[in-house]
Amino acid sequence: MRARDLRVGLATAALFALAACGQPAGRRAAPAAVGMTANRLPVGDLAGDVQSPALLSVQNPFAGQPDAIAQGKVLFVKMNCAGCHGYDLAGNMGPNLADRYWRYGGTPGAVYQSIARGRPQGMPSWGRALPPADIWRLVAYIQSYGGMTPAAQYQAGEQGDLAGAPPSAPGEAKGVGTGQAAGKSRMQSDAAQSAAP
Amino acid sequence: MKSSGRAPFLALSVFAALLAACHKTPAPNQGLAVPSGHVQGWTGATANFAPNGPAGEWPSQARDYANTRYSPLTQITPANVARLRTAWSFSDGAQYGHEGAPIVVGDTMYLVTPFPNIAYALDLTKPGAPIKWSFSPNPSPIAIGKACCDAVLRGWAVADGKLIYNLLDDHTVAVDIKTGKQVWRTKMDNPENGTTMTMAATVFGDKVYVGNSGGELGTRGWLAALDVATGKELWRAYGSGPDTDVKIGPDFKPYYDWMKGKDLGAASWPSDMWKHGGASSWGWVSFDPQLNLIYYGTSNPSPRVPAQRPGLNLWTAAMFARDATTGMAKWAFQFTPHDQWDYDGVNENILIDIPFQGRMHKALVQFNRNGFAYTIDRQTGQVLVAQPFGNLNWATGVDMKTGQPIVNPAMQPKPGIKLVNACPTDLGVKDWQPAAFSPRTGLLYAPTLNVCMDLTDHVQSYIAGTPYDGMEMTRHPGPGGNWGAFIAWDPVHGRKVWSIPENFMLFSGALATASDLVFYGTVDGWFRAVDARTGKVLWSQKLGSGIISQPITYTGPDGRQYVAVYSGVGGATSVESKQAGFPAHGNTLYVFSIDGAGPGAAAGMLATVTAAGKAGG
Amino acid sequence: MTSAPLGYLATDGAAASPVTALAWGLIGVSLAVILIVGLLVVWASLRRRGAPSQKETDDNLVGRPASGLAWIYGGLAISVPVLLISTVWSLVVLAQVMKPSASPGLTIEVNAHQWWWEARYDSPDPWRIFTTANEIHIPVGVPVRIKLASSDVIHSFWAPKLAGKMDVIPGLANATWIEANHPGRYRGQCGEYCGLQHARMAFYVVAESPAAFAAWRAHELEPPDAHPSPVAARGAEVFAARCAACHTIRGAEGGGLVGPDLSHLAERETLAGAMIPNDRSHLDAWIRDPQGVKPGALMPAVRLTQADRGGLVAYLESLK
Repeated sequence: MRARDLRVGLATAALFALAACGQPAGRRAAPAAVGMTANRLPVGDLAGDVQSPALLSVQNPFAGQPDAIAQGKVLFVKMNCAGCHGYDLAGNMGPNLADRYWRYGGTPGAVYQSIARGRPQGMPSWGRALPPADIWRLVAYIQSYGGMTPAAQYQAGEQGDLAGAPPSAPGEAKGVGTGQAAGKSRMQSDAAQSAAP
Repeated sequence: MKSSGRAPFLALSVFAALLAACHKTPAPNQGLAVPSGHVQGWTGATANFAPNGPAGEWPSQARDYANTRYSPLTQITPANVARLRTAWSFSDGAQYGHEGAPIVVGDTMYLVTPFPNIAYALDLTKPGAPIKWSFSPNPSPIAIGKACCDAVLRGWAVADGKLIYNLLDDHTVAVDIKTGKQVWRTKMDNPENGTTMTMAATVFGDKVYVGNSGGELGTRGWLAALDVATGKELWRAYGSGPDTDVKIGPDFKPYYDWMKGKDLGAASWPSDMWKHGGASSWGWVSFDPQLNLIYYGTSNPSPRVPAQRPGLNLWTAAMFARDATTGMAKWAFQFTPHDQWDYDGVNENILIDIPFQGRMHKALVQFNRNGFAYTIDRQTGQVLVAQPFGNLNWATGVDMKTGQPIVNPAMQPKPGIKLVNACPTDLGVKDWQPAAFSPRTGLLYAPTLNVCMDLTDHVQSYIAGTPYDGMEMTRHPGPGGNWGAFIAWDPVHGRKVWSIPENFMLFSGALATASDLVFYGTVDGWFRAVDARTGKVLWSQKLGSGIISQPITYTGPDGRQYVAVYSGVGGATSVESKQAGFPAHGNTLYVFSIDGAGPGAAAGMLATVTAAGKAGG
Repeated sequence: MTSAPLGYLATDGAAASPVTALAWGLIGVSLAVILIVGLLVVWASLRRRGAPSQKETDDNLVGRPASGLAWIYGGLAISVPVLLISTVWSLVVLAQVMKPSASPGLTIEVNAHQWWWEARYDSPDPWRIFTTANEIHIPVGVPVRIKLASSDVIHSFWAPKLAGKMDVIPGLANATWIEANHPGRYRGQCGEYCGLQHARMAFYVVAESPAAFAAWRAHELEPPDAHPSPVAARGAEVFAARCAACHTIRGAEGGGLVGPDLSHLAERETLAGAMIPNDRSHLDAWIRDPQGVKPGALMPAVRLTQADRGGLVAYLESLK
């Protein structure tokens, strides 16, 4: 329990510290990530922050752990996430969380930020209502559906290279989730989300 | 098979004869007195078509105060309807579901898109109906994530030289129809707490009536009246809470005793759950100018888990008759007390006069979500007829002494336990998609659903701005396998006259014309014209996307009759999106005429601008 | 009573007293049996028996029945009626405690969670239905029906001085009943192992006079003070932002159902599943570090500044 607390704290601290840094990627001209060009004016990351691959390559300390996934599932229902995103994560009022398309980035760090800070078009900000460990558990539950971008593949995800692959864990992940939940077609989700001028 | 092989045959023929006798077509109206100027069809039902505007206009969503959606135009007939072709079309660029009906006043057509609620005025005098002006109100995108059933807009109103409509983010806006500039904008509520506005702002006289959405997010529902000239809020009647909030006073006289009492809008809820009780007014409003009453309904109760809220949960899943000037309630009727399946009461109330038990009654008909078509006396709130108009198994009937449904105990959901094959699903046997009335047949024409659900309830916390919902559902079609059916309904006897089954759901409104045509569209994009008397399909046209809006008909400045409908699927139809053939989103208005004829329709014409600035050619 | 709050040999209530009486009765019978048999055994082992005389031995060759039969008849004559009476008594007691003699004057739905108790007070008037947690008030002399449900695993509802244990099984609707004869605080405890903090899943049944109970019940429906102090007002904002997703306070912002209902928290004498006293220092420690008080509890450690926590504590203390 103690060691895990430490990892949760470190992961979250890394996430927020790096977010606070906000250094333009150009200054980190010695890139660690594969395929990163030395653009003087890089695009911001998918969520509009300064592009900082290290920021979004943070790992979920609870990834793949069955009891964290089970607790994440309980939270997913109790915090009303299922009401917007569907009990099968296929989307409804909110987007599909089981497919490969992530408007604000699909790495664990990006999804953590989406939950903690909220997003435009109505996603609430949970960072003050839920402790970091619980948000990581929610991320672990979403990860169990197999549609998220692995942290190490952040660049490929941002550049749209992963969109064609099916979710990586079709069927059950440890008996939780269905993985291949068919919901709105991606085109319809896209259309619905991109309509705002 | 011993003695007579004849006995079973005899019995059968007697039985068949009895059956035939039961299904004999009803006698036409028994010569009862009919107000002059009214046409009566063979059920005897008729209506008041006030404001009785010019026959060629479509001045409001339902065309008239009574919500009949009936047009007196006769150029397009069953004989020539098969020649309907597209005269012109218009894409408005918005990708959410298109649910509203265009309004045609004078030579201009007025349209408003779903989010971002851009308004367009189209000049019908010119070829191709070019845009006269457009108005972008820039509503807040927060509201998109708070709209349960797509970021739609169900209609708009033109009155007093203004185009008035609701924005998704809880503002009502008025735009000058000549210049396209904003005249006023009134903030009605706050989208952060889960409230949006999707209903069609409706004008009667000098007031515009608007209501909120959000029964799935624990909003507190209300209906308000604004002054048409200034947008100032005149009164607001809540759907739950103490009598002062619900605007219930000494004049309130519900017909049934179980709705009489003090502060029932609070007392029929545990502790203070009425504060997030739903009862939003996101549907249609109709108006009787002689009684000066408006009629509208309220949504489901929140949360959608009945175990959390014992009690009748007044005034949800109900309808009100209110004084149009003061807003004070005259009577109310709750269709589904302690609703357990999300059967809102917001569907349109079509005001018709019917012969019943020897005299003409001023009545109204609502095809309720719960599957019963109610014919209700609109002066007293008494239920005259209540019969199922589609497939349902949650109740076995309506007790006519109390007006309450006789609930099937096996169909009551308990948290955590899967309830299998409850019919209809939450969308009901008919949702908001409005029906039409034809005085020539005396029938109502309703687009209905045949969908059932497997339901598991989950106890829900109230967290403002998030769903206060709890219904986990998978939906499937009911008996027959068709997701929808278009029916003709006899409101006097409470019975279906004919029915057209459809593979896909029906979420479009209906349109009836004086040439005995009825129009409707399907979710997979077929726009159909059928014979009002027999239900025979006379014309079908596949449009670019599914049709969930309301068809209209009008006379253009060139004297031709046009039929117009939006195609653009969305709304609540996404429940069927996994079915093969489900269309993609769209945003095109199609306008049809005989042979596709329209002003300046010759091919290859070049419109030139003369010195006077007018286009010619 | 306070010296042995969970002592079930001295009970007080129509659901438990017959059982206790029966228990003592059977103990008495058992003790009597032990005493009598023990004395007989001792007497038998110590009794001096001389060698049988020649005349007696000769007589005994004929096969007279041993004189011990009288002892058997005597023993049967004593024990059979006693056992019959015990059987009948047990059956009568079973019937008595199975359901109350009068129809219940109050129904409470108790929902067991890991590791706290939720109690919803039912009423034919829906507006009088409300939820509280861990401290269950009942009126004296009125049979109270307790409907039991579980949100997660098997628990057991046990208020030793008032009734026997009744398991709370997820997916099953069990019911029990209690009735208190005298006012007082009767402690209850979860009686079925249910996880890490099973041992700290207590509750109190607070029995009070019917008038006091009615007053308490009416008070529970009232909203919190509309004019809190500035510190408490700040605490209310902290509560709405940080706690309301999991907790409910009737009349204030907050509708969470994950944790216990905190309406009128200041009226309770205990916290954290009736484990720690409800005073400022314990409340502060519980909020600051729940794992230190109850390791494994599902209440997370919410990071608050000193000032925020102080405001929150002041607010919670103002919830009378």
